[in-house]
Amino acid sequence: MNGNVIIIGAGRVGSSIASLLNEKNYSVTVIDKNKDALMDVDDFSGYFEVADASDVEVLQRVGTDAADAVVISTEDDDTNIFLTDICHFMFGVPRIFVRLADSRKEKLCRYPSVRAICPFLLSLDEFRREFGE
Amino acid sequence: MRIVIADGLHEADYLIGLFNTKGNSLIVINRDEQACRYLSERNNIPVIHRSPVREGNLLAAGAKDADLFIALSQSDVRNYVACKTAKQLLKVKRCIATVVNPKNVSLLKKLGVDAVFCATHLLGEQIHTSASLDSFINSLSLEDNKIQILELRIKETHEVCGKALEQLNLSGLASVSCIYRQDHGIIPNGKTVLQDDDKVLLVTTTESRERVTALFRRKRA
Repeated sequence: MNGNVIIIGAGRVGSSIASLLNEKNYSVTVIDKNKDALMDVDDFSGYFEVADASDVEVLQRVGTDAADAVVISTEDDDTNIFLTDICHFMFGVPRIFVRLADSRKEKLCRYPSVRAICPFLLSLDEFRREFGE
Repeated sequence: MRIVIADGLHEADYLIGLFNTKGNSLIVINRDEQACRYLSERNNIPVIHRSPVREGNLLAAGAKDADLFIALSQSDVRNYVACKTAKQLLKVKRCIATVVNPKNVSLLKKLGVDAVFCATHLLGEQIHTSASLDSFINSLSLEDNKIQILELRIKETHEVCGKALEQLNLSGLASVSCIYRQDHGIIPNGKTVLQDDDKVLLVTTTESRERVTALFRRKRA
């Protein structure tokens, strides 16, 4: 195994990352409130917990304190910020990836172990490259 | 004081009534349009219809460097992020959040919110206190139930009545802060002798409470 990764929020992005890491031989735990969240992921061999990850007991139960990385990708930015702080301050997770739809909220997640991924900024960068800026 | 009241309906209405006095400047911001209208009409003050979890909205509302920020929405997550935004980005001096889930009281405090209140948590503490103590004791819990202020009534039948405080060996257990005796408050010292009908106000820890109350309620042999 390459390491333990917890993915919170299994929408299209979260479940695609789960599938990718699963293929690359990571030990993957997915948490989502929706029991059907991983229906489109083929051959997922990781662990799937149907629960609300903003309950700190759920994060304890899945072993967040021993995780090498956490990917936070729920549909709600505020939930993602809250979960980032819990993973950072309460569990000391060494690598945290958080998706934020509103790039202006990125400054709330500036810790050395946290990488914020903002689809808006990625799209903008792509257009800048395309138009030679 | 400059106070920001973010979201909430009846709680916000009550706090606006409480703080809308001379010397305070209120900033009321609410994501819900109907709530804005309700609060504005009832209190005759402007209410800003914006989400309080956005830095730009709080800046435009004039919340920068405010003295107090109170987050009252029904979502614990929103209240946390609103407080974090206010504290971290707008340098608000003190942030208070209300939460629905009692487990989030200690969590949000650990994450940096200055004070966190939960109706269920307070109710639980109150029930626990009234169930475990008999009627001659009033108590108040502070600092997330770690510190207790107790008010104990001394009766002639109690073993401690007629004894000086230094004889009670309270060192490390409790500190007697004040004695209310015949309409007067007395700041005691070790030589102060407890009398019938005294009301003793003391500070102790939650771990020591049972030992302290047992000591004070022990009857004469």
